[in-house]
Amino acid sequence: MTAIKNGVAGFFAALGSFFGSFFNAIARGDAFVKLSLIIWGAGYFKRKQYVKALLMTLLEVGVILFSVFFAMQYVPKFGTLGTVQMEQVLNMQTMQMEFNDFDNSFLILLFSLFSFVVWAVAIVVWMRNVVNAYALQQAAEAGEHINSFKEDLRTFIGEKFHVTLLSLPVLGIVVFTVVPILLLIFVAFTNYDQQHMPPNALFTWVGLNNFKSLFSSGGMTVTFGYAFVRVLGWTLVWSFFATLTTYFGGILMSLLLNSKKTRVPKLWRLLLVITIAVPQFVSLLLVRNFFSNGGIVNTICANIGLTGFLRDVGLISTSYIPFLTAPGWAHVMIILINIWIGVPYQMLIATGVLMNLPTDQLESARVDGANKFQTFRYITMPYLLQVTAPTLVTDFVKNINNFNVIYLLTDGVYTTTNQLMANSQAKEVDLLVTWLFNLTQNYYNYKMAAVIGIMVFIVCAVFTLIAFNFVIGGDKEGTYQ
Amino acid sequence: MKSKKALGIFSHNLLIAVLCVIWLIPIVWLLCMSFSSSPSMNTSTFFPKEWSLTFYQKLFQPDTVNQFPMWFMNTFKIAVATCIISTCFVLMVAYATSFGKFKARKPLMNVAVILNLFPGVLTMIAVYFTLRTFGLTNSHIGLTLVYSASSGLGYLICKGFFDTVPRALCEAARLDGCSEARIFAQIIIPTSKPIIVYTIINSFLAPWMDFVYAKMILNAGISEKYTVAVGLYKMLDKSLINNYFTIFCCGGILVSIPIAVLFFIMQKFYVEGITAGAVKG
Amino acid sequence: MKKIVTLVLALAMLLCMAGVGAVAEAPITLRVWGAEEDQTYLAERIEAFKAAYPDYNFEIQLGVESESTAKDTILTDVQAAADVYAFASDQLPDLVKAGAIMDLTTLEPVLTQMTGKTLEDIKAANVAGAISAASYEDKLYAFPFASDGFFMFYDPDYISAEQAQSWDTLLDAADAAGMKVGMTLASGWYNACFFYGAGFSTVLNADGTTTIDWNGTSPDGISGVQVVKAMQAIAGHPAFMAVADGDISNQISGGKLAAVISGTWDTDLVAKVFGDDYMATKLPSMNIDGTVVPTRGVVSFKCIGVNGMSPMAPWGVVLADFLTNEESQVARFEARSIPPTNVAAAASEAVQSNKGVVGLTEAAEIGIVQTVGGKYWDPCASFGEQIAQGTIGSDDAAIQTALDQLVEGVNSPLS
Repeated sequence: MTAIKNGVAGFFAALGSFFGSFFNAIARGDAFVKLSLIIWGAGYFKRKQYVKALLMTLLEVGVILFSVFFAMQYVPKFGTLGTVQMEQVLNMQTMQMEFNDFDNSFLILLFSLFSFVVWAVAIVVWMRNVVNAYALQQAAEAGEHINSFKEDLRTFIGEKFHVTLLSLPVLGIVVFTVVPILLLIFVAFTNYDQQHMPPNALFTWVGLNNFKSLFSSGGMTVTFGYAFVRVLGWTLVWSFFATLTTYFGGILMSLLLNSKKTRVPKLWRLLLVITIAVPQFVSLLLVRNFFSNGGIVNTICANIGLTGFLRDVGLISTSYIPFLTAPGWAHVMIILINIWIGVPYQMLIATGVLMNLPTDQLESARVDGANKFQTFRYITMPYLLQVTAPTLVTDFVKNINNFNVIYLLTDGVYTTTNQLMANSQAKEVDLLVTWLFNLTQNYYNYKMAAVIGIMVFIVCAVFTLIAFNFVIGGDKEGTYQ
Repeated sequence: MKSKKALGIFSHNLLIAVLCVIWLIPIVWLLCMSFSSSPSMNTSTFFPKEWSLTFYQKLFQPDTVNQFPMWFMNTFKIAVATCIISTCFVLMVAYATSFGKFKARKPLMNVAVILNLFPGVLTMIAVYFTLRTFGLTNSHIGLTLVYSASSGLGYLICKGFFDTVPRALCEAARLDGCSEARIFAQIIIPTSKPIIVYTIINSFLAPWMDFVYAKMILNAGISEKYTVAVGLYKMLDKSLINNYFTIFCCGGILVSIPIAVLFFIMQKFYVEGITAGAVKG
Repeated sequence: MKKIVTLVLALAMLLCMAGVGAVAEAPITLRVWGAEEDQTYLAERIEAFKAAYPDYNFEIQLGVESESTAKDTILTDVQAAADVYAFASDQLPDLVKAGAIMDLTTLEPVLTQMTGKTLEDIKAANVAGAISAASYEDKLYAFPFASDGFFMFYDPDYISAEQAQSWDTLLDAADAAGMKVGMTLASGWYNACFFYGAGFSTVLNADGTTTIDWNGTSPDGISGVQVVKAMQAIAGHPAFMAVADGDISNQISGGKLAAVISGTWDTDLVAKVFGDDYMATKLPSMNIDGTVVPTRGVVSFKCIGVNGMSPMAPWGVVLADFLTNEESQVARFEARSIPPTNVAAAASEAVQSNKGVVGLTEAAEIGIVQTVGGKYWDPCASFGEQIAQGTIGSDDAAIQTALDQLVEGVNSPLS
């Protein structure tokens, strides 16, 4: 927790000093520094940095053009998310339908958010610009060297190289991840669902109603909360087992393969790695047909009498083994199939770690007369655990969001027999992510999907925080440097 | 004593063999099904009743449903482009966060951690409409962007690797008057072969595996534009599975072969990369 | 940071410029979606359409979208969907609500001007059931082109025509032959047939919600509990095989079935597995506490609609009409053995002698046109699965509770 406290304190301190230097620059700067509040290039112009001055001014013009021609189409409607309904008339002359200038709530929301992000960045640039102009003024007054444009450019492969490196990737992340996530958060506070689907209909803000309907217990919405608790439960159980089974399975498998007794280890490893090479959508769709109610495994089980036996002992009530179609069976099968997919992968990692095993320790253990088991128990295993424990945390979070395995194995195959789950479009084998995916794809219930998405985030965040603070004991960066 | 040891070795290898067999059963089934002579799934016997290559031939004779050669080319193009962009982005971000000494470094890394906690499937709809605004839906460029634009977020393993590179190397170079860019390009990159291979393989594979985004973005129903994943996925549609299941299996095998070869050749680097990175990252 | 801003802005500027892009005078461009299996046929008919209007310059792009999933793809982004598309009639209410389908009355003048037909002509040309399935609140929204219900195929090697009349005799005969009878229970499309048979109904309300009263007593005096018990008796029979939704074709080729509830899409497959002497008929009747009650299958249709947000909708209507006229329906039947809705096309000898069509017609005579909304499907699928797996239990109270929960789920408000 101290890490967070420090982080928050540090953030506000940095913010404070940033604003401090900005107001300091305005107060003490000369006329050109002040002018650069309005014309961004003014400060540079005064110091004869003409190219930079031109670029900054052009940038300012760009921001203004963007605001006038793009942002202003959307941002003013942000409060209502649009009011003009779509209408159309038939034009017999052109044989075309003509539409009015209607509002699309979704695009208003999306582009408003884009505009906000652009403006936020523009404000930071604007303030930094003034601070820079003032710094130039000070440098000039002190008679220091003022960079030419070429020298400025050179800093981008020198001390400011990180800016060069980060700008494109960060831009990509902002456009394709940050803004979509912001949108998701905002949608949770609207009534964007099948009855309010743009462009035909408008949606609007509804405050916390969606969160209430997830948690309140009354009327029909009771099932949403009912399904949520169960889906969350299975999500956590799944992540726990999926993470641990593949992790230890991978370690065991690599120990087995790396043992001196193993003949042709390369061949065995290759055979196991083949399962990684088959794309998941192929292997999982295949396995799902393999284990389907009328599939090959069921035929074989029926032929050898296993189905009949299970029926007799009361484990199944159907004429087939419901590997992927009944609760319990499906849960276990999903975890088993995940072992099948995940272990070879973890085995590769564990193999790599074992190769790096500090040989001096092994050697001294051997000299001390430790037997193989002792070596394993006191040297190999602790080393493995210590080195790979952080990946357990990230794997757990990944499994909470493991869409592919669950979706490919159960979509269109598993039908819940729990009426209350079905009434909120959930299944016992759904993870939170597959549930929200179905809500958006088949029911266009974006508002509830967004609420569930936020819940997924909270679950992951809480878990990550706990894991890093208490289990692993903070961030180990720097230990190796 | 000797025979006991031999027995131990035998049973040890037998155990491995059994495990390998279990792991390979579905793959073998896939292979068997792909050589079947009937187009639909065989649910009564493990091996096909009659072996034939018919459906491999059909796979290469495009019809209204199956455009496999086209899909393969599409996916290959997207994968190469994605691979180049993603690898650059990942290396850039990893270098900046590992070697950089700027104030925003820690906050940026924390933001990255937070972003990774949101479920990706939900942001799909926003990504879709963003792409549509730029006219990039139903285009391979759009799909490439989806796969690669945010790839910088996956920098952690690579950063972990860079963290293990001795700092003295860079210090010496800096004293010689090398710019940061030259250190990056001429010192760090050449010593990072394993992690580069790892990143390349991972980003190259993404377009072969994904069908959710591809299905959403290639939504004009033009099957020549599909990627392998979307095309094969659609073959299992209720109305088609009976005529196309075997072709699906053939396609699955043919997609897996290049990936398996890639893995086999690069296995050593891949393992080195992921362990060096994951463990310390 | 500055660099990032520059790039954001550059992109933003590009965006603005793209928005202002000019609209050029161009050929009439239309995009059409049809099922995978129809691609060749549709391509031919589109060429015929171009030939029929030689004075115009068309650019028609044909894409693939299965009729059964059309709604899902279209509603995700209506503006990016095709101008003219084929869909299954049960999706109509959702398409109308989303504004994704044109009300044909607004475009009637275009139709009359280009083809000389009025909507009345369309209504008269097709069977009444198809027109009612293509209409919503008494307005015609789409052009029907094929009937698409389910009925029963059976293999006369194991089952006689008489045995096929009722579930009891059918299942016993199949059991005696060591064969199975396959049917999908986990789908509201299939399992509603038992309730419809007992006189229950489904009502689609104006706000998009569905109302069912299956937990009560039907106008015929049969209670929901009685229907469920009859269903349980059928599903619990050793010869009954509950097949997962979409797995029917697969099970037919498995060769273990003596009879199967399916539709015309499986006709060719059935002929292959059951032999050319296969038979098709209406669904067998149920025995509810001594009374013989028919099982009324759902009658659906496949239709072609015009995108409600397409500027090209007027031409779309002309094309949609062309793709569903008598000539096109005859051609479609020849290509795919799909029973036409056009009265004249359906009257031809080739159609009348097709056994699949005969079965469908028999089932349709007592069938129900199902109109339900989005909240209907998941609860009903779950209910069918519970019957298939036998999880409800056989006492009246448990059945009543299960029915109450089903009805609550289906009747619940949207979202």
